[in-house]
Amino acid sequence: MGEKVKIYTTASCHYCHQAKEFLVEKGIEFDAYDVGQDKEALQEMKKATGGARSVPVIVVGDKVIVGFDRLAVEDALKHMQT
Amino acid sequence: MEILVYTMEGCPFCESARRFLQERDLDFTEKTTPPGSKEWRAMRERTGGSTLPQILIDGVPVGGYADLVNLEATGELYRRLGLTERKPETVLYDVIILGAGPAGLSAAIYAIRKLLKTLIVSKDVGGQIAWTSDIENYLGFSQVNAAELVAKFEEHVKKFGVEKIVGVDVTAAELSGRIKRVTTEDGKTHFGKTVIIATGGRHRPLDIPGERELVGRGLSYCSTCDAPLFDGAEVAVVGGGNAALEATLDLMNLATRITLISLTPLTGDPLYQAKIQQSDKVEIFTECRPVRILGESAVDGIEFRSLQTGEIKTVSVEGVFVEIGMLPNSHLFLDTLATNSSGEILVDAECRTGLAGVFACGDVTNIPFKQVVVAVGDGAKAALSAYNYLLNRR
Repeated sequence: MGEKVKIYTTASCHYCHQAKEFLVEKGIEFDAYDVGQDKEALQEMKKATGGARSVPVIVVGDKVIVGFDRLAVEDALKHMQT
Repeated sequence: MEILVYTMEGCPFCESARRFLQERDLDFTEKTTPPGSKEWRAMRERTGGSTLPQILIDGVPVGGYADLVNLEATGELYRRLGLTERKPETVLYDVIILGAGPAGLSAAIYAIRKLLKTLIVSKDVGGQIAWTSDIENYLGFSQVNAAELVAKFEEHVKKFGVEKIVGVDVTAAELSGRIKRVTTEDGKTHFGKTVIIATGGRHRPLDIPGERELVGRGLSYCSTCDAPLFDGAEVAVVGGGNAALEATLDLMNLATRITLISLTPLTGDPLYQAKIQQSDKVEIFTECRPVRILGESAVDGIEFRSLQTGEIKTVSVEGVFVEIGMLPNSHLFLDTLATNSSGEILVDAECRTGLAGVFACGDVTNIPFKQVVVAVGDGAKAALSAYNYLLNRR
């Protein structure tokens, strides 16, 4: 396994909650950042995405996924595990 | 057990039947029978059918390709073939519900309580509630967080043990036969005696230059999700209904200046309008049409034109929130079901679409007033209607 999965969220974002639940269900360990509160994490997220201002952003290895796209996340996880 | 298939050249359903059997590793004998030939007359005598293909299992005619598919859906095909140890790959559901917003989840509760074998297929759970922060008009809850309400809906459905496939798009729905077929993007096909369409709506885009290029780069359709990213920024909100006013109110706590642009005079709740008009952070432009979103790699402005004077105005903003209503998610059904000019599926008072065994409810239909409570009510009606249909069908 490479680096831990990261997810950037805001408190009120329902898709972010769903994305986190999805990762929990899959048994994936991850670090979650609330970019509404954590300005440092917001800068980090913008850097990773080349300037995105939308949540959730999920970082799996070298894959950066903006928005909660289950299939894309599953795909990225598969690549990370092999 | 022997499978015999009468076919002719250039017949698409013969090809489908051939492929169906090959995909399932079922050996078969094929007899080419040009219509009018001696073999064709023999086939007609033997099967009672004159169309091609005609399929026989151990000498017993089963009909054409559609009959073969239906036979599999009911599990009967494998019984006839004596393949008892082979579990039928397909299940025939009483109801397949497309969508898991308030309408779809409510339909699921009513369906399962009638002991219908129920499957929910949906891209996500909660539907458009996911874009809202608080709900203040759902009976029994003077104020409830939208995510909590969805969680309660989900928990309720889970308690009754409804089967759910979440996270995949439906790519095709064949609804006109007695057995309905729903195909998902992972290539799987699900079979149902009825289908309830509760696919809801999606945000209506502005369809102006710069919009598509800048989605997620300052342009957002979900102020609930993305507003916290615009702390201390100058932003614009487009729209004049409740969604736009709620977005403005959310942003009033965060942004330094908000430009509210509406094509019409504001139409949202007067309660919201009053709060917004009192704020000195908000500048309101009514009867204006946005013409362009500005910015290269991120939003840096919005251009809009006054409908009264034709004057074009530009304001520099880092964020644009588009809240101009919704479009029904009905594109898969436009060929088969009657819709109105907005693409909403037409339903009668019992949520029937006009196609036997196909029902619709919630924001995808022509029922006015797109409210959670309305969708929940219609979901119940659609499920009870499907139940009545199944009773009469048997």
